[in-house]
Amino acid sequence: MSHHMPSPIDLDAPEMEADGLGWTFGVMLVAALFLLFANAGSLRDWIDDQPPGPVQAQAAALADQWVEVTEAMGIGLPRQALRNQWKRAEGARFDGAAENSGTGEGPG
Amino acid sequence: MLFPTLSFGLFFLAVFSVVWAASSSNEWRKILLLLASWTFYGAWDWRFVALLIGSALLNWGAAAMIWRLRDDSDARRRAILIAGVAANLLILGFFKYYGFFVEQLGEILRSAGYARDLPLMQVVLPVGISFFTFQGMSYLADVHAGRLAPARLLDVTLLMSFFPHLVAGPIVRGADLLPQFAETPRLTRDMASMGLILILWGLFKKAVVASELSTGLVDPVFFDPAAHSQIDLIAAAYGYAVQIYCDFSAYSDMAVGIAALLGYRFPINFNQPYRAVSLQDFWRRWHISLSSWLRDYLYIGALGGNRKGFARQCINVLATMLLGGLWHGAKWTFVVWGGLHGGVLVLERIWDRIRPIWLPRLPRLLAVLVTFHVVLVGWIFFRAESFAAAVAFLKGIGTPGMASDVLTPLACLLILFGMTIHFMPARLGQRLALRIRLLPAPALGLLAGVVVLIADAMRFEGVAPFIYYQF
Repeated sequence: MSHHMPSPIDLDAPEMEADGLGWTFGVMLVAALFLLFANAGSLRDWIDDQPPGPVQAQAAALADQWVEVTEAMGIGLPRQALRNQWKRAEGARFDGAAENSGTGEGPG
Repeated sequence: MLFPTLSFGLFFLAVFSVVWAASSSNEWRKILLLLASWTFYGAWDWRFVALLIGSALLNWGAAAMIWRLRDDSDARRRAILIAGVAANLLILGFFKYYGFFVEQLGEILRSAGYARDLPLMQVVLPVGISFFTFQGMSYLADVHAGRLAPARLLDVTLLMSFFPHLVAGPIVRGADLLPQFAETPRLTRDMASMGLILILWGLFKKAVVASELSTGLVDPVFFDPAAHSQIDLIAAAYGYAVQIYCDFSAYSDMAVGIAALLGYRFPINFNQPYRAVSLQDFWRRWHISLSSWLRDYLYIGALGGNRKGFARQCINVLATMLLGGLWHGAKWTFVVWGGLHGGVLVLERIWDRIRPIWLPRLPRLLAVLVTFHVVLVGWIFFRAESFAAAVAFLKGIGTPGMASDVLTPLACLLILFGMTIHFMPARLGQRLALRIRLLPAPALGLLAGVVVLIADAMRFEGVAPFIYYQF
């Protein structure tokens, strides 16, 4: 009975000596900041889904303002364009008759 | 709290920061991980956190007693083992099978002319109960067999509660995880690179492929097979094969990745299962932590494996797979699914014995196709609401009809994608990890952000629970 099952995280090369913790923290921080700008709508939707209350209302108002700022800068456009393309692909049918463009959806 | 949600993302960022900040003390680190795991589990239902703690206490206490009696007679140690395993099975049986067995008993009594009002009650199934009770039982068996020394209460509780594997596996054994708890882990770039790849890959498989196939194709067809044409039924069967793989392997990938970011190494759970050349090979690639658990503790440990002759070996294989089917839930469709797998595994063993030497083995491609389609038939029973619905589904497949209501070019593409990934080079992710570990953090952070953004733009609205949450 083997106690040492292989793991997907085992790499076929000598381990890197460089610091892993700070590096990982940096990766996650940059990814989170990128998403805060490029995917502000998701954060707003998430806040809207939280149980209502004064803190939630304040956060929702802030999130709405933040979405407006990112929209004005056009940061959310690539995500929206991809979303529209995906909705078009979802609506496509083999006979081509029931094409559904899937537009009209707000960012997020 | 589901992995591919913003709620979990924020929860994990907080846990990651706090746990690594407290890593000067391994004890505090483990206590924080335990509290985080209970918070994670409590998000479903706080009452079941008590069950989790009770289950850990039971297994810790029984293992400690077994160890204390190590110089005593084996009969007493064995009695404690049996009592401990029985207690685990009782917990599992009550929550998971009580309703099913009372219902079946009622049917039997009615058919024998004894109509009785049996004590039926609605039992809420705690998420992940099958996983943590199996973990507890294997811990007891390992301590009894001397493969593992008993661990402290904190470590046993964390072993059973650790949130990355808590609700849908992989079933991480004490022998794999407890030694890791003994030391403060270190996060290397290797672990982090592969962990991030697994999390992002899992997110894509679940949020994009599995959710889209489930909502657009599989669910509507399986809901009412009679209302759909032959082509829709065939597509839904293939669609479900891809959906269940992309759903369950996504959870495992994300669990392994999340554990890696916290400094722990989880075992592999999936290895391109649809490229298997036999059913035996399939079970070495699908839900590996369960199949190896069943092999080690049930097939070999409890039933004797192949030690009592070939006929007994075949019975043991069949019994193991039937119980493996029942592990998934109290439904006859799961028993049929297990029986089908067990039956074919037995046939494979018999064929291996009687196959004339001059007869060549099936060409590899043909063997893969045959194995995959046996698995596919099994999935129809696994997914169907009832045995009758599965039979109706199979009958519908045999009834010609090409008009399709639900099959779309996108669904075809996703099915093709789900199958193609089984035939890509096996360690592609690891090769990619070797490259991205060299990137500066900001570059990889941007790349990871773009991948999440793409998955989010392509995902279906909302996130359905993982299929294996119900088990």
